[in-house]
Amino acid sequence: MNKKAFAVLFGIILLIALFFRLSQLELRPMHHDEANQAVKFGNLLEKGEYKYDRFDHHGPSLYYLTLPFAWVLSGNDFSNLTEGVLRFVPSLFGVGLILFLLLLKDSLSLKSILFSALFISISPIMVFFSRFYIQEMLLAFFTMGFLASFWLILRTQKSSWHITAGLCAGFMFATKETSIIIFGSFLGSLVLLKALFSSETPPRHPLKNLISPRFFYLLGAAFLVWLVFYSSFFHHMKGLLDSFCSFGIYFKRAGGAGAHSHPWVYYLKMLMFSPYRTGPVWSEALVVISALIGSIYGFTKKPTIRENSSFIGFVFFYTLISFLIFSLIPYKTPWNIIPFYLGMLILAGCGITFILGLFQKLWLKTAVLALILITTFHLAWQSWRANFKYYADPRNPYVYAHTSTDFLNLVQRINDIAKVHPDHKNMLIKVITDPHEMWPLPWYLREFERVGYWTETKEVGKIKGTPVIISSKEQTEQLYPLLQGQYLSEFYGLRNEVLLSIHIRFDLWNRFLEKRS
Amino acid sequence: MMKIRKNILWTPVLILTVFLLGTNGLFCQEKKEEEEALELELPKPMFVGTPRNIRTPNLEKITGKMRGPFYVPKGTQLLSLNKPVSSSDMMPIIGELEYVTDGEKSGEAGYYVELGPGLQYVQIDLGTSYHIHAILIWHYHSQARVYRDVVVKVSEDPDFISDVKTVFNNDHDNSSGLGIGRDKEYIETNEGKLIDTRGVKARYVRMYSRGNTSNDMNHYVEVEVYGTEVK
Repeated sequence: MNKKAFAVLFGIILLIALFFRLSQLELRPMHHDEANQAVKFGNLLEKGEYKYDRFDHHGPSLYYLTLPFAWVLSGNDFSNLTEGVLRFVPSLFGVGLILFLLLLKDSLSLKSILFSALFISISPIMVFFSRFYIQEMLLAFFTMGFLASFWLILRTQKSSWHITAGLCAGFMFATKETSIIIFGSFLGSLVLLKALFSSETPPRHPLKNLISPRFFYLLGAAFLVWLVFYSSFFHHMKGLLDSFCSFGIYFKRAGGAGAHSHPWVYYLKMLMFSPYRTGPVWSEALVVISALIGSIYGFTKKPTIRENSSFIGFVFFYTLISFLIFSLIPYKTPWNIIPFYLGMLILAGCGITFILGLFQKLWLKTAVLALILITTFHLAWQSWRANFKYYADPRNPYVYAHTSTDFLNLVQRINDIAKVHPDHKNMLIKVITDPHEMWPLPWYLREFERVGYWTETKEVGKIKGTPVIISSKEQTEQLYPLLQGQYLSEFYGLRNEVLLSIHIRFDLWNRFLEKRS
Repeated sequence: MMKIRKNILWTPVLILTVFLLGTNGLFCQEKKEEEEALELELPKPMFVGTPRNIRTPNLEKITGKMRGPFYVPKGTQLLSLNKPVSSSDMMPIIGELEYVTDGEKSGEAGYYVELGPGLQYVQIDLGTSYHIHAILIWHYHSQARVYRDVVVKVSEDPDFISDVKTVFNNDHDNSSGLGIGRDKEYIETNEGKLIDTRGVKARYVRMYSRGNTSNDMNHYVEVEVYGTEVK
């Protein structure tokens, strides 16, 4: 393949990736976790405050890297911030990680790079979580950057790759403390590579190449990122120690997963075949099977083919180890699939190249290519379905405890009532729910000045006269006698099986009906 | 000289007045600030991790106590079993319209009919006029859901143009355009929703809904109409 054709095709793939990631970013209601992150970011945006929380919400990079985008796109005011602005950040990182594949042009054929890039650009999982304001796509970006630059250290020993790998490693840790699983997988992979791929293919001495004085460049760059970000730019030095204390907390959570405990096959099943009741069937089996073929290809070490079998072996071992670790940890959520799925996506590109290389006759090669493109199109169609049709539907396997679209009707109702209240957005709103049923209300009510959040009805104090009360199903039962027939109550869906009630004072309700008629 | 003395006498009075007014103003201001401060003390939301993802069917009773006994005249019988059903959506997305009166009330897949989005109705033809004492509706009870704008009408006219009586309506904002209802919204349970129709005379029963809290679709597992013959 000539370089011009490669550049054109790679450009088209980037455009596809941008289309899937940037279209209608505000379509999906904010997830509980997204809203948590958004409100935390709001504190940083408006007050310049951020303190690392070792118990939850992962590292600081997401918040700090969102800042420049928010300043440019929505300004300093939290109430002006939109879902689109926030989700623009992971979307951009989701596209950016494809560019790191270009660093691998000495270890992978151009065809393999193109197919890997294509799979990343259209994979339903990759697109879905690129449009999600959580840390995962940033982690994927830095992991890909680390993988590529780390491999280039082993091959070239250039200082610039040490620094790049160090920065990526630092940002991986500053994004998610749990990135130590990924580092462990890379280390395990390197050891296996040394043991199984001795000296036939470059790099001939990976460990020797790695352990050199230049390795301190890598450590130094990673240290710098850790120091700056976990200390909140030297404003909260405790964050540095807390970043390590978090290991114990996450280790405990991973083992006793509780509500997020799933069997070891959870991820594999999700990737291979994921039907749900009356909903459509989902599958990214094309990627998994192609990755498997690509791995076999790596071990065959055909000297005539341009691919570096050591690199394929390195990615294969990384993917296998990280897949096993993430699958054996009881705590599972769909987004935790991404670190090892990245490896599969690279290997899948190699697998397709291998399959095409098996056929010598042009018509046969064309037929196989056509078949591959049809299945790839099916993947893209699933991506469209997952992100633009079933974006908040529990029948979508990547939808996990997501906010129901009906919740937006509740937000609309609150806004409608505020319009007829004399204080408008200064209207008092009392929210009485368990913290898990509180979110994403704080995000959607960010423009309201007087919103109080309680977990128990008995703690609220005076109920009578409050213009609007929002309560969970459990609290509604306790609340009903206190409403004394003075309120109109409605139900709205928060998530699958989780309902919220809104209680609107009758005078406001009647004013709303009058105004509407 | 006298004028100066008078002014001197008035001076402390003036100072006192200004002081009292000033302090009063100050106090008033402080009071306002206190009120503001109280409002700022509204509890903030708590940051918590990912909530539980619920995907398993919930066939248990969701809320409240079991429904108490409902008294009807002697001789009241189930009138709707296997009676013909028509709908605003004659091509259901899932299931068949016959499911509405087939006597199967399971909440599992394969026992409910799914009608399209927006305002939809199902209509049961009882064959002849009866005194209807109760209507029991199960929309979808394998999940905690609330169906929107549940309106139940009865009539002697199959087209519901004349002689129409509304026996239940919880469309409190008239978003479906069938009139404002005063009945309350309710969470679906395996007990179904019991409507007291007080012996209203009719042959046709029509039930409207407009989506639910989980999605825009309309569902029916079963509808039971109880009544007595017209003598």
